[in-house]
Amino acid sequence: MTVSSRTGQHFTDTFRQAVFIILMAMALGTAVNLIRPDGIPFVASWSMADKLVTEEGDTLSIPLEDAAVLFADNAAVFLDARTPAEYEKGHILGAVNLPWHEVDNYFETVIMTLDPEAMFITYCDGEACSLSHDLALFLKDLGFTRVKVLVNGWTLWKEHDLPVTTPSS
Amino acid sequence: MPQKNQSKNVALIIGYHFTRLVMAGVFIYASIDKIIHPDLFAEAVYNYQVLPRYLVNLTALILPWLELTLGTCLLINRWMAGASALAAMLMALFVGMTVFNLARGLDISCGCFSAAPDDDPITALTLVRDMLFLIFSLTLAGLVFIKNARRRSPGSPMR
Repeated sequence: MTVSSRTGQHFTDTFRQAVFIILMAMALGTAVNLIRPDGIPFVASWSMADKLVTEEGDTLSIPLEDAAVLFADNAAVFLDARTPAEYEKGHILGAVNLPWHEVDNYFETVIMTLDPEAMFITYCDGEACSLSHDLALFLKDLGFTRVKVLVNGWTLWKEHDLPVTTPSS
Repeated sequence: MPQKNQSKNVALIIGYHFTRLVMAGVFIYASIDKIIHPDLFAEAVYNYQVLPRYLVNLTALILPWLELTLGTCLLINRWMAGASALAAMLMALFVGMTVFNLARGLDISCGCFSAAPDDDPITALTLVRDMLFLIFSLTLAGLVFIKNARRRSPGSPMR
C-alpha cells in the first residue's frame, strides 16, 4: 500500500465513520424526543416578543417608534437593566440605571424614588437579552402598572440615531 | 536507535489514550444535562442568535446526542477516525461561537456543560478552555491518523 493510498483510505474511513456517527445521533435524538413525555417540538417560532407576555396575557414589548414618541414627549422613564459598566459606556439619554443582577442594592436608591403611576420602559442589549424582561416583571410584581420592554433597546436606539449619553458627550 | 523508537512509540500511545479519554469524558459529561433538559438547552441555542429559528430546536435535540455518541466512540476506542475528526470539528465550531459572542459582547450562557440559562456565562476562560480542548482533539485526530497509517504498513508496533 502506498502512502497516498493509505492517506486516501484514512480519509474515506473518517468520512464514513463521521457520517455514521451523525446519523446515529440524529436517530437517537429524534427517537428519544418522540418517546419522552417532556419532549419539545422539533420546530418552534422563537420570537422574543412572543415570550414577553405577562401571566394575564398582556404583551410587554413596545415598538421602537412608540418608545421614541414617549421619549420625545418626556412621557416615560427609561430604565437600563444592564450593568453599571455597560451603562457608563453609553445609555439612552436620561435613562436610569437599574441593573437587574444587583436590583436589591438599588431598592432604596432607585426603586423607592420611582412614581408607581408613571410609564416605564426597560431595556438592555441584544434581542435575546432577558434582563429588561425580568426587570419589567419584577416591577409589575411590585405594583408598577405601566411597564413596557423595549426589546434589543440599546442597539435599536443607537441604530436609529436617537438621543444617547456617552462618556464623550 | 531501536530503544529511541520504542520510547517514541510509548509516548505516542500514552498521548493517544490520554487525549482519547479526556475528550471522551468532556463530550459525555457535556451531553448529559442538555439531554435531560432539551427545553433549557434550546433556549441557550436560541440565545446564541446564529441559527435560523426553525433550526434551534432541531439543533438542541441532535447536538447533545452527537456529543454523547462520539464521546462513547472515543471511550470504547471504536470508529476513532470519524469520532476524532468530528470532535475536532465540533471544538473548532465551539471556539468560533465563543469568539463571536465575546466579540459581540452578548451576555448569554455558554450552554457548554449545563443547559440552564443562568449557569456558565461565556468569559475569556471559556475560550481558553475550549481552545485547550480543540488542541487535544486535533492532537488526537493526528495520532489516530499515525496509528492507522502504521497499522496498514508492515511491521508497525503502535496499537
